Amino acid sequence: MTDWRIYDHPIVEFDRGKEVTLYLDGKPIKAFDSETVAAALYASGLREFSKSIKYRRPRGFFCAIGRCSSCMMEVDGVPNVRTCVAPVKDGMKIRSQKTLARFLNPILNLMKLPPQKYMRMFTRPSIIYKPAMMVMRQLTGIGKPAEEIPENMEITPKSMELETEFLVIGGGPAGLMGALEAAKRGVNVTIVDDKDMLGGQLVKQTHTFFSDIKYAAGKRGFNLGKTMVEEIKEMNNVKILTNTTAVGYYPSENRVLLVGPEETSVKIKAEKYLIATGAYEKNLVFENNDLPGVYGAGGVQTLLNVYGIKPGNRGLIIGTGNVALMVAYHLIQAGIEVAGIVAPSRRRVKGYHVHAAKIKRHGVPIITRHTIKRALGTNFVKDAIIVGLDENYEEIEGSEKKIECDFICVGVGLSPAYDLVKLFNPEMKFIPNLGGFIPIRDKQYRFVENAYIAGDVSSIEEATTAMLEGSLAGLYATKALGKSDESIDAKIAEYSHALEEDRNSPFSTGLVKAMREVTVENILEVIQ
Amino acid sequence: MIQDNELNALQRGYYYRDEISHVLPSRERLEKGRVAVIECIEEIPCNPCSVVCPTGAIFKADLCTPSIVEVDKCAGCTKCVAVCPGLAIFLQMIKGGKGYVTMPYELNPAPKVGDKAFMYDRSGKEVGIGNIVQPTYQDKGDSYPRWIVTVEMDNPDLSYEVRAIKIKRD
Repeated sequence: MTDWRIYDHPIVEFDRGKEVTLYLDGKPIKAFDSETVAAALYASGLREFSKSIKYRRPRGFFCAIGRCSSCMMEVDGVPNVRTCVAPVKDGMKIRSQKTLARFLNPILNLMKLPPQKYMRMFTRPSIIYKPAMMVMRQLTGIGKPAEEIPENMEITPKSMELETEFLVIGGGPAGLMGALEAAKRGVNVTIVDDKDMLGGQLVKQTHTFFSDIKYAAGKRGFNLGKTMVEEIKEMNNVKILTNTTAVGYYPSENRVLLVGPEETSVKIKAEKYLIATGAYEKNLVFENNDLPGVYGAGGVQTLLNVYGIKPGNRGLIIGTGNVALMVAYHLIQAGIEVAGIVAPSRRRVKGYHVHAAKIKRHGVPIITRHTIKRALGTNFVKDAIIVGLDENYEEIEGSEKKIECDFICVGVGLSPAYDLVKLFNPEMKFIPNLGGFIPIRDKQYRFVENAYIAGDVSSIEEATTAMLEGSLAGLYATKALGKSDESIDAKIAEYSHALEEDRNSPFSTGLVKAMREVTVENILEVIQ
Repeated sequence: MIQDNELNALQRGYYYRDEISHVLPSRERLEKGRVAVIECIEEIPCNPCSVVCPTGAIFKADLCTPSIVEVDKCAGCTKCVAVCPGLAIFLQMIKGGKGYVTMPYELNPAPKVGDKAFMYDRSGKEVGIGNIVQPTYQDKGDSYPRWIVTVEMDNPDLSYEVRAIKIKRD
């Protein structure tokens, strides 16, 4: 049986837990109980997880952290489960939702009837609706409704009401630091995170960080995350809710609605909120960019460094920012060949030169002035076509080249996950230099009277700056809650100075300018 | 296809030797003993090397200015090599007519004394085969785990070129 797991890694020791068995359409699959369903299936060689609804194109996963929803399958009778965040249980039964569409595809294509059309055709008269729907669900591959309630499911969802002083949404570097600084000063803190473990994306950063050695520099990201989580777990005024998603904020009652494990709904009221929800990965527009085998750089890091699974044998990387360069290095460390890094920019490799130098000396080609044109392959990536760019970034005709690869890793940046922020009714602005839509905030990191923002959701930057921002937001919130101690002003000054120093490099010039544009003296004046 | 020599160092992703000659120590200095070479020219916010240096040989004006090694103060202790997040610090030495390069190593397989290793220059080109003479494994401290490996080469001038290794195993 094929096994894509890495058993010998120079940096990480993978603690996979107990071996268990999953059943994919009745076929046994080896899995470990610390894995997610998608990770276990990927390790067994599965690349196509579902079909797209409209054109029934194959879908793999892209982000591997529960954001992109292209890995949906039927798990233990429940359709449309995001398998990349569903933890493995022994004996789990997984069904692919491609069903009839697989066989009917060619015929439907000949009829030129996209599913949405015939879905509407059979809604009248009402008597045919039910049987027609059953057929339609089969055709579109959006899953079969369960015939009976799955045995292990709670029939009545539980609900709860909670109160806390400081609610931190997002348990990544910014959220954890914010929670820590506030909790140290006696604030009652609740942290909410939609993953089953805290640490955000730190868990997959196997490299050492830059910045000031006083804070994070020289430490490996995943070790740093582990220390922070251990520290926070020891505090008895911090409540941690993992596997819990913040789905809404209701301004009139000043409450956040959370959905926890087993559909538990929690209404939670806090005096101050910290939104540290991070970011989404961007994709790039090119032909076949939806094929299984085209992954986000973060998705590759998750597979590789969290679950210890090889994404493929030979990868092509698009983009030359720090994340893309780092992923290339992570692949080399796992013994995976890197076919090249495609660099569209004419001016320079976008990330730090030291990152480029360290992959270059291990023989990775940096293909400058090129971009990807098309991914090849029918059900998953098999090679890619790249194309040269002239000085106006137009494609040069006849410069197409085929690059051999079995996966493509897109590392072209992140975009803030502002969904929750918007529900607080802030003033939003589109600032490309900060990553996309972000709210106007004041110098105390408030974007409305009772809510603070920090980390990638406030501007796309490094984990080290996210930690400093989070600390500052936590301290300002503590002050607003009236829990200041004598050290608080000195701490605020220290962290603010550290942030300023961090952003004093030519890499941050655009960012600092953009930040000035969206930072005001007092948010209350703007919002009124 | 564009050739590397049509690009500048920031576009091609590595420096030619003559582009960083100002950070490379003289041959006389190398013959006196191990010395740190910091191939980190850009202004990036980072300072672990200058903080951990026990002899104060690494000077940094502020967080974002590139480090400068005062070669006379450097004792060749490897502390900066072990801590550098950019893996951009190496030690060079010439002794008994042979060249030595010390570098961080974060790959498999684990190095052993007596191993042979393919040596690569900054562009990833193979430039010869050397001997692993001193592998040290760091299992505590901030950047653990990390190997610090010294490779010996017959041509002392190659110590200015060799920046990566791949351990040769049958």
